[in-house]
Amino acid sequence: MLLGEKLSKTYSSGNVLDNVTVQIVPGQIYGLLGRNGAGKSTLFKILCGLIKPDTGTVSVQAARAKSIGAIIEKPGLYPYLNAADNLRIFAGIQGLSQDKGHMTQHLMKVGLPIDRKDPVRNFSMGMKQRLGIAIALLNDPEYLVLDEPFNGLDPIGVASLIQLIQQLAFTDRIGILLSSHLMVELTKCCHYLYVIDEGKMVNAGFTHQLIQDHIQRFSIAADNIAAAQAIQAYQPVIGMNDVKITCPASQITTVLQQLMAEGIRITACTPELTLEQLIKQPRA
Amino acid sequence: MKTLVWAEIVKLMKQSKTYYALGAVFLIECLIFITAYYQGSAILDVLLDSLKQSFYFEGTLLNGNLILYIVLNGLWFNVPLIIMIITSGILTDEYKDGTIQTTLLQAVDKGSFIGAKYVVAIGFTLFVIAFMMVSSGILAYTIFGKGDLVVYLQTLNFFPAADAFQRIGWAFASGAVAMLFYSVVSMTLAVWIKEAAKTWIASALFLIITNLLLKLDLGIAIANHFFFPKLMDTWQAFFYHEIDWGLVWLNNTILLGYGVCLIGLGVWTFRKQDIG
Repeated sequence: MLLGEKLSKTYSSGNVLDNVTVQIVPGQIYGLLGRNGAGKSTLFKILCGLIKPDTGTVSVQAARAKSIGAIIEKPGLYPYLNAADNLRIFAGIQGLSQDKGHMTQHLMKVGLPIDRKDPVRNFSMGMKQRLGIAIALLNDPEYLVLDEPFNGLDPIGVASLIQLIQQLAFTDRIGILLSSHLMVELTKCCHYLYVIDEGKMVNAGFTHQLIQDHIQRFSIAADNIAAAQAIQAYQPVIGMNDVKITCPASQITTVLQQLMAEGIRITACTPELTLEQLIKQPRA
Repeated sequence: MKTLVWAEIVKLMKQSKTYYALGAVFLIECLIFITAYYQGSAILDVLLDSLKQSFYFEGTLLNGNLILYIVLNGLWFNVPLIIMIITSGILTDEYKDGTIQTTLLQAVDKGSFIGAKYVVAIGFTLFVIAFMMVSSGILAYTIFGKGDLVVYLQTLNFFPAADAFQRIGWAFASGAVAMLFYSVVSMTLAVWIKEAAKTWIASALFLIITNLLLKLDLGIAIANHFFFPKLMDTWQAFFYHEIDWGLVWLNNTILLGYGVCLIGLGVWTFRKQDIG
């Protein structure tokens, strides 16, 4: 288990972290949600031992040589080296094998092409993120900490990265902590969510539970839905391709059943949860 | 530590700026050669006109040994500047690219990491001095040939060709100690400042101040011995008729001692510092 307990950090600019506690278990994916400047990166740096907290402790129960692999803020790569040479440098400094076979294996694991020989400064952000993850995974860490891994990625890149993260958690039993200010991406892949605001942990819980407790709006896409009777009681807002309704999560099943009874063919129903809701309404 | 040093060497060799630095040193040498070729002869004629009537000098006085002496004089400001830029970059580039975080997120000891950087900075400095000595030596002796060396230090000192060659070799070795001091200073400044441009400015300022204070007399003999700017031109001691070996060893030992203290301070600071 990776446990950061009652962590606080103050800089001259103010209090960045205030009595924050997080806990990561192998094989599970955790999300840390927060606006820019909420204290996410500082928390990650403390968990990884890059900076010291003013108060609180970090304890890691890990049987492997490297307990935590991480990318914080951006993947730090040598821009003048190619992907394999970057891996070789970081493997070499830990005394790991640098042979071609191992390097190829690491590149393939994160879905990077093995035939690119040009410097990584030419790589797209998605490829840099993948190489950063490959480096973080060197020496087989028990936990992986990824700070804003979806930044700069297109939707295909995001989907592909989520797939990789899930594979690492489920197949390799790595405990993963992700941060983002993008709600949708985190709710798609995390078992558990932490919400941080102005350095304080303002909300936490299992993702499905948080959604159930906080969700108040749904986007429903369906043919002829604008005229449907079932949604009229839920303040429908008609959009180009969907209708947004305001209703508690406990009632959505009933609404959908009524729509189907009216003969409406539903193609999608997406909960719309905002970060603000999670920040302003902590779970009871 | 060995693997960290090897990684630093690979990184240094893979960066184009390393070769730009060596190219810059060579270009400066060439410019000094051209200047010496066109102006040296005329200056020597004026200086030695009367002496030539009374003494016999072997070969022409505008020879490889004199050119190497001029190179030595000309390079003690330009070369440390280049060395300081490259050696501080060994650390500041890691901050800029974020690779310092990536490295320290691996199973790597902080002290060994910065220690390896100091080792490579020292190695690179020695390599530059060796490169400078070999390249300027080959060029100087090929173009200007060998001959007696005449140097003006308080008075005119004359050295036979073979003796001059040895003295120049020792001067390069002694100068290398001063260069090591500068490279250690720039690395330590990089530990404190972290940012490349600011570290360059601080390094250049340090170099300028050191050069300005070189001739400052503190008035107390013992203070002069330990005042580091006055230790920088110890290499000149090899161009007096009698070499004061005691002074040469003492000055260089003190300078090396300062270097070791700065390394200790840099490693201590780095270990204490937060990263990021």
